[in-house]
Amino acid sequence: MAEKSIRQIAIYGKGGIGKSTTAQNLTAGLVEEDNQVMVVGCDPKADSTRLLLGGLHQKTVLDTLREEGEKVNLDDIMRKGFKGVRCVESGGPEPGVGCAGRGIITSIGLLERLGAYTDDLDYVFYDVLGDVVCGGFAMPIREGKAKEIYIVASGEMMALYAANNIAKGIQRYALKGGVRLGGIICNSRNVEREYELLAAFSKELGTQLIHFIPRDNIVQHAEIRKKTVIEYNSESNQANEYRSLAKKIKKNTMFVIPKPMTGERLEEILFEYGLMDNLEDDYRI
Amino acid sequence: MGKYVDRPRYGCALGGALSLLRAIPRAIPIIHSSTGCGYNVYNGINAGAAYLGGGYCGGAALPSSNIIERNVVFGGEDRLAEQVEKTIEIMDGDIYVIVTGCMVEMIGDDIYSVAREFEENDKPVIPVSTPSFQGNSYTGYDMVFSALVKEYVEAEEEKKVCKVNVIGIVPGEDVFYKGNLKEIKRILGLIGIDSNTFVGEGETLDNFKGAGNASLTIVLSDVYGVETAKVFEEIHKIPYLLTGLPIGYLQVENFLYEVGEALNIDNEVIEKALEAEKETYFDYFERITDIYNDIDLQRYGIVVADANYAPSVSRFISDELGWLPQLAMITDFLTEDQKSRLESRFENYDSELKPLVKFDTDASAVKKYIRELWPADQNERYYDALGPGFILGSVIERDFADEFNYPLLSIAFPVTNRVIFNRSYAGINGALTLTEDIFSLLVAGR
Repeated sequence: MAEKSIRQIAIYGKGGIGKSTTAQNLTAGLVEEDNQVMVVGCDPKADSTRLLLGGLHQKTVLDTLREEGEKVNLDDIMRKGFKGVRCVESGGPEPGVGCAGRGIITSIGLLERLGAYTDDLDYVFYDVLGDVVCGGFAMPIREGKAKEIYIVASGEMMALYAANNIAKGIQRYALKGGVRLGGIICNSRNVEREYELLAAFSKELGTQLIHFIPRDNIVQHAEIRKKTVIEYNSESNQANEYRSLAKKIKKNTMFVIPKPMTGERLEEILFEYGLMDNLEDDYRI
Repeated sequence: MGKYVDRPRYGCALGGALSLLRAIPRAIPIIHSSTGCGYNVYNGINAGAAYLGGGYCGGAALPSSNIIERNVVFGGEDRLAEQVEKTIEIMDGDIYVIVTGCMVEMIGDDIYSVAREFEENDKPVIPVSTPSFQGNSYTGYDMVFSALVKEYVEAEEEKKVCKVNVIGIVPGEDVFYKGNLKEIKRILGLIGIDSNTFVGEGETLDNFKGAGNASLTIVLSDVYGVETAKVFEEIHKIPYLLTGLPIGYLQVENFLYEVGEALNIDNEVIEKALEAEKETYFDYFERITDIYNDIDLQRYGIVVADANYAPSVSRFISDELGWLPQLAMITDFLTEDQKSRLESRFENYDSELKPLVKFDTDASAVKKYIRELWPADQNERYYDALGPGFILGSVIERDFADEFNYPLLSIAFPVTNRVIFNRSYAGINGALTLTEDIFSLLVAGR
C-alpha cells in the first residue's frame, strides 16, 4: 500500500488534449529538481511514457502478465527514463476485446503487490485515458490512490464539456473520500480570449486555473524526437513554462471538491467569453 | 493457460470466503454479486462439506445485492449501499463483511468506498474483494482472513509467550475442520500452549479481535493460510511456521518438537506430554493388530486429496498402518514452489517406501497414474493385479473405486456421502478415528 507521504496525482482530460505531453513535461520538470517520480500510464494505447523513455515502453504490465503469467518481477514492467523517472504502462487488451477497465485495476493491484510504491517516491502520476468510461478507469482515484487531480483543458468547447463531465466524476469520489481537484491546466489551442475563458470556467468549478501553457510548435518538434521539451531544448521558453507548472503543482495547496455546472451554465460562460461575441460570421482561424 | 479441470474439488473464491464466514459466529456476509451466486455456492459447500448447513446467515438466507444488468451498466454501488443498510437493520451480527462476485469486480465497483459510508456504524463493515478469477475457495479463505487480520484484529505490542494462532484449515473445504481444530488445540495444550484456532468449538469473534498478542502463527498447511500468516507477520509482527496437518502419533511427535523449538519449550515438557499420549494411543491401536494379522489387512494405499490431507494421510498409512503407499495425488492448483515444498513431505518415510506423487486437478487422472505404476492386465495367464487396494479420497473417486473394486473412504472435499459433525482425522485422537473408519470399511462385510 502506498505511503501517505507520496503525492499521488491523476491527470484527466478530453482525449487528444495533451494530457500525456503535459504530464511528461511536468514530470521532467519535477525530476530535474531531484524529485523521485513514477509515471503510471493508464491507457491501453500505452503511450504515456514515450517522451520520458525516448520511445514506446515495450513491456506493458498486461503484456507481461499475458506472456509470463503470474511470475512477474517489478523490473519486467518498470523502466527508468529521463533522469531516473520510473515509468510503467498498464497497457490493455487488443482493441475490441476483453476489458481495459479491469486491466487498469489488475495493473495497479499488481504494482502494489510488487512493491512499486516505495517510500522514497515523492510523486506518482497516473495518466488516464480521455474519458472515465467505466469503474476501471476511476481506479487511480479510488481510496488510497491519487488524492489530487488535475484536468487538462483548452478553450475549445468540447474540451470544456469533457472537463466539466470529469469534474462530475471527481465530485462523486470527493464526496465519498479524500479525492480533490487541484486545478485546471490549460493547454492552449490559441483560441480567442482563452485565458479569460479558462479562468472563468475554473472559478465556476470552484477551482483555479493553475497554469496556462501557451501553444508552441517546439512541443511537436520534441515529440517527433521522442523527448520532452525540457530534454529537447532545456533553454526554451516552453521548457520554462513546464518548469513553472511543476513548481505550481509542487506548491499547490488549493484542493477542492469541484462544483460541476449544468450544460446551460457552461454554454452561458462560453457565450460570455468565447466564441460568439464580435466574431459572428468570421470564420478565420 | 486453457487448462480445464475434470470435476473440480473446490468452489470459487467467493465460496471459500463464505465458508470462512459461515464458521464465524455472528459474522454476517453480504454478497455483492449477481443473483444466484450465493445459492450456487451454498449448494456446493453444503453438500460437499458433509452437510454443513447454512446456519443463521447462510445458505438460502444470504444477504446479497443481487445485481442485474441495470447495475452492471450503471454501476452497482448504490444497490450495495442499500443492501448493507438493510442487512444491518435485519440481520443480527457483530461484524458485516462485504464479499464480491466476479461481475462487480469486472465493472470496477468500489466496495471500499461503500463500506466507508458505514464507518460510523456500531458494528464494523469490512469490505473484501473476492473475485473468483483470482483463485478458488482456498484463495477466498485467505482473502477474507487476511482482511480480518488487517481490519479487525487489534494491535498488541505485548505478545503472550505461549499463545499461538492456528490457521490453514479451511472450514468446509476441510470437512473435519471443527474436530481437527479441537484436537490440535488439545495437543498444543499438552505442552502448555494456549491456542487460538479462530473457528473452533466455542470460539467467537473475540478470538479474531484478540489474535494480535500471539507469539507465533502455526499454519497447519503448506499452502492454505500462508498469505494470512504473512499479513500477521507484516502487521502484527507475529512470525509463522508451516507445519502441515499432523495425523498420527509420529507426526504429532514431530509437530510438537517443531512448535516447541519455535517457542523455546523444554524438550522435557514435550517428552512428558507425549509419554501419556503414546500410552493411550497404542493401547487402542493394539486392538486391531490381531485381526490385521489374522486376515491380512495390509493394503495398497491410494490417496487422492488436497494439499493438507494428501501428504499427511499418505505418511500415516505407510508409517503407522504399515500399508504400501502407492499413489498420492494432490488435487489443488499449485505453484512450482508449493509443489516442491509438498514433495519434500513425501521424503524419508520410516517404512523407507515412497508413493508416486502427482499433482493433478483431474478426477480421471488417477487411473492414468495407476497404469503408470502398475502394468495393465494383458490377458496373461497369471496377472499380478494391484490389490487389495484402498482409496482415501473424495466421493469423486467413487467410479474409480467401483471399477477397481477398492473400498473408498471419503476424507477430502467433496464428501457428500457422509454427515460429519465433530469427527476429526488430525492429531492423535483423529488418527484413531481415521483408523476406526478405515478398518470398519474392511470388516464391514463380516
